[in-house]
Amino acid sequence: MFGIFKPRTFFNLASTSIFWLKIIFIFSIIIGLGLALVFSPIDYLQKDTVRIMYVHVPSSWISLLIFLIIGICSFISLIFRVKVFSVYAKSLAPIGLVFSLISVVTGSLWGFPTWGTFWSWDGRLTSMFILVLTYILYVLLWSFIKDYNSAEKITNIVGVAGLINIPIVKFSVAWWNSLHQPSSITLTAAPTIHSSMLAPLLIMFFSFSILSLIIFLIRYKYEIINFRVNKK
Amino acid sequence: MISEFLNMGGYGLYIWLSYAFSAISLVSLYYSSLKKLNVIRNKEYLYQESEKSIQDPVSNQAKSI
Repeated sequence: MFGIFKPRTFFNLASTSIFWLKIIFIFSIIIGLGLALVFSPIDYLQKDTVRIMYVHVPSSWISLLIFLIIGICSFISLIFRVKVFSVYAKSLAPIGLVFSLISVVTGSLWGFPTWGTFWSWDGRLTSMFILVLTYILYVLLWSFIKDYNSAEKITNIVGVAGLINIPIVKFSVAWWNSLHQPSSITLTAAPTIHSSMLAPLLIMFFSFSILSLIIFLIRYKYEIINFRVNKK
Repeated sequence: MISEFLNMGGYGLYIWLSYAFSAISLVSLYYSSLKKLNVIRNKEYLYQESEKSIQDPVSNQAKSI
């Protein structure tokens, strides 16, 4: 079952699947953007600004999901010394960083017309800002520490420690008073968002997930080849 | 009709900036990743070629002639 995680198997899988993933991405992003920008209705309160939600929310979900995976991979790498998991984490980090930046920037651009301010140091925004800083720290550590084993150990610790922030981001709107609205979609209850808005949101999330997977596979291939070249 | 679409009820600036920032960030990430992969592939190819020439110098000399 875990054969897929073997570097060679995963490398071959990456090489064959990227083409098909690109086709799926192109179709899904065209449908997603069409629904998000043209066919989805405006919100009765927020008017057209609600269209920012279709990039902001999927980006936030993906940035959180990627850090969760990085944390789990770092934990496995730290405890069981399975090197390939730190390669997965290293390949994922820049993708998570970009999505977390998109989440913060689009959130600010959505915040100004709806809240009257680009930024507020409340629970959700501050914890999201900490997530961006954790991503930056993680990526910079890989770049600046030249010894691979030291970089691996330190980034694994950052990856595991950063996991603490994930539930804080998720539940911050429930724990503290916030300008940010509570989640409309949860895993435990039916969504409180109309299907005409839910559909583009989920399609954009699917599309961004496929793009993340494509970039991850490219970066994973880079890391494996880089490992081979540096070993020689 | 197009200007109405671009105006987005007066919020066009915020909406289009959000989509443009997302698109530019993701396209940059995709192409920078692809560029890194191509550079390392070329590097690996050059290593393989240099190894071949070390292992089999006679045939390589013949090829060059």
